[in-house]
Amino acid sequence: MQDNRNIYTPIRARLTDVIEESPSIKTFVVVPEDKFSFKTGQFIELSVDGVGEAPFTPSSSPLITEKLEVTVMKTGYVTEYMHMLKPGVLMGIRGPYGRGYPVEAFFGKEVLILGGGCGLAPIRSLLYTLESIKDKLVKVILCYGSKTPADCIYKPLFDRLNSIEKFEAYRTVDKADEDWDGSVGVATTLLNKIKINIKNSVAVVCGPPIMMKFGTIRLLEMGYKDDQIYLSMEKNMSCGLGKCGHCMMGEFFVCRDGPVFTYDEIKHNPEIWK
Amino acid sequence: MQYKCIPKEEWDKTIERLLLSYTIFASVENEYGLDYELIKPRDILKISYNKPKPATPLKSFFLPVKENVTLERIDEKPRIILGIPNCDIEGLGLLDEIYLDIEFNDVFYRNRRENTILIASDCFGIQENCHCLSYNIKPYSETNADLAVINLNGIIVLRILSAKGEDFVKKIPMMQSLEDKNLVSAIEKEQHATETLLMTSNVGLPDYKNTGELIIKAKENIWEKYAAHCVSCGACTTICPTCTCFLLIDKPGLEKVKQLDACQYPGFERVAGGEDALFELHNRFRNRYMCKYVWKPEKFSSLACTGCGRCIDACIGKINKNEIFMELVK
Repeated sequence: MQDNRNIYTPIRARLTDVIEESPSIKTFVVVPEDKFSFKTGQFIELSVDGVGEAPFTPSSSPLITEKLEVTVMKTGYVTEYMHMLKPGVLMGIRGPYGRGYPVEAFFGKEVLILGGGCGLAPIRSLLYTLESIKDKLVKVILCYGSKTPADCIYKPLFDRLNSIEKFEAYRTVDKADEDWDGSVGVATTLLNKIKINIKNSVAVVCGPPIMMKFGTIRLLEMGYKDDQIYLSMEKNMSCGLGKCGHCMMGEFFVCRDGPVFTYDEIKHNPEIWK
Repeated sequence: MQYKCIPKEEWDKTIERLLLSYTIFASVENEYGLDYELIKPRDILKISYNKPKPATPLKSFFLPVKENVTLERIDEKPRIILGIPNCDIEGLGLLDEIYLDIEFNDVFYRNRRENTILIASDCFGIQENCHCLSYNIKPYSETNADLAVINLNGIIVLRILSAKGEDFVKKIPMMQSLEDKNLVSAIEKEQHATETLLMTSNVGLPDYKNTGELIIKAKENIWEKYAAHCVSCGACTTICPTCTCFLLIDKPGLEKVKQLDACQYPGFERVAGGEDALFELHNRFRNRYMCKYVWKPEKFSSLACTGCGRCIDACIGKINKNEIFMELVK
């Protein structure tokens, strides 16, 4: 039977809450008017009516389907408008799109998550998912870096993670202030502190492109194999449907073939770090 | 290959009758050259047969430059497009793979495809930049269209290429099976003559696969050298039968307008925060060739360049992609 659904039409969604995470980052809570669910690591196209849409990986748990949280850094045309929105407005959602984290492949393993900046948003969704299946995992370690203590989002998350059995969470900042008593240095410096059985481990990297590159290099130096490293790639995913061409990364459409790839899948392609 | 035929004057009367139930676009020669035009009864005698090649690529009939893709679809009158060169018919293969894929089917594209009868036209003769045969695409259609038309010796011959084409022909009175073996030979002679012209004018041009290998190995200075004449106008992608990248523009009411875009435009790959993998012009310039000859072939079975040569005709910087490839061969 032919599918007559219009792939370009968004689902209507009501913005019900806006949470300020940092001076430049807010979390938007939206309630879709139609049934909507996603797998962790998949992304959506979120529309500001009449302004534009942009791709975001929800930061909420995929187990909660009645509402969706999207954490957004004010960094471009659409996100600047988004940061001015007040609860009550109508937004649009298309998706979910792409290939998320293959959590079944993490069963019986130690999961190392290396995150930076706003990359913690999709990681939070992954962490909720991993928490729900923690009896199937050996351990989960989060190493997260932000530029300054003020840029560090979801502050209560770290205490909560450290209180969960099998979970460890570490934070660092590039530049400390007077009140900061934690680590100082880029996210990869935290990798020197952790104890992990690399052979029985997978590593997830999500953050700004420069961190993805150097994070991957460091993980390879530590002994991770190419197919043990999961990268969440960032490109200009405009249609989400593998058609518009904006997110081409070599032969891959990041929106459909990714956004989560193993390093093994994409390492042959010199375009990945561009 | 099954052929039907009809005297030219009867065919012209048939087109007049078909205009009652179809919108017909056909290749017509005007003061600027050859292009598709909407046919009215008075234009029927102006229709050009077997001459390459309409200036507009076939994609324009299926993917308008700008279209609201959230409004209700209006059922259009069935269409006939007459006089399509095979480079464009082959180009439609890639569009079908992209827009008719099972998971994300574009209903706007699909409706137009289903609503259109494609009548290809054998090319008798070539234009300066035609090079389909170098990519193993013949200058006449044997698949993918519904029919192919040949106008020879006062007879219109139709080669039947699909069930849809066969049904269409059945409804045309006076259409007969082609028994005249001399006419079939005459058609084949014209086809071979065109193939010979293509081979002669493209001696040394690498084939599709080799072109991809040469592009991968090409040094940055090649792209810098040729991109020096590029002004990022996007004429090459706009006129290309297989370039269909687009942008979704938001309008109030959660409406989306889909507009043709081009990797040659600055900012095509820019992400939030400002990073842009294609910031430099020569990288954008290279991107188009990588996409056509290296990346798309990894992903799709249809060719992403069908050798129509329109990008060479259209370039205001007079960049000839085949000159780049010939330089890479050396």
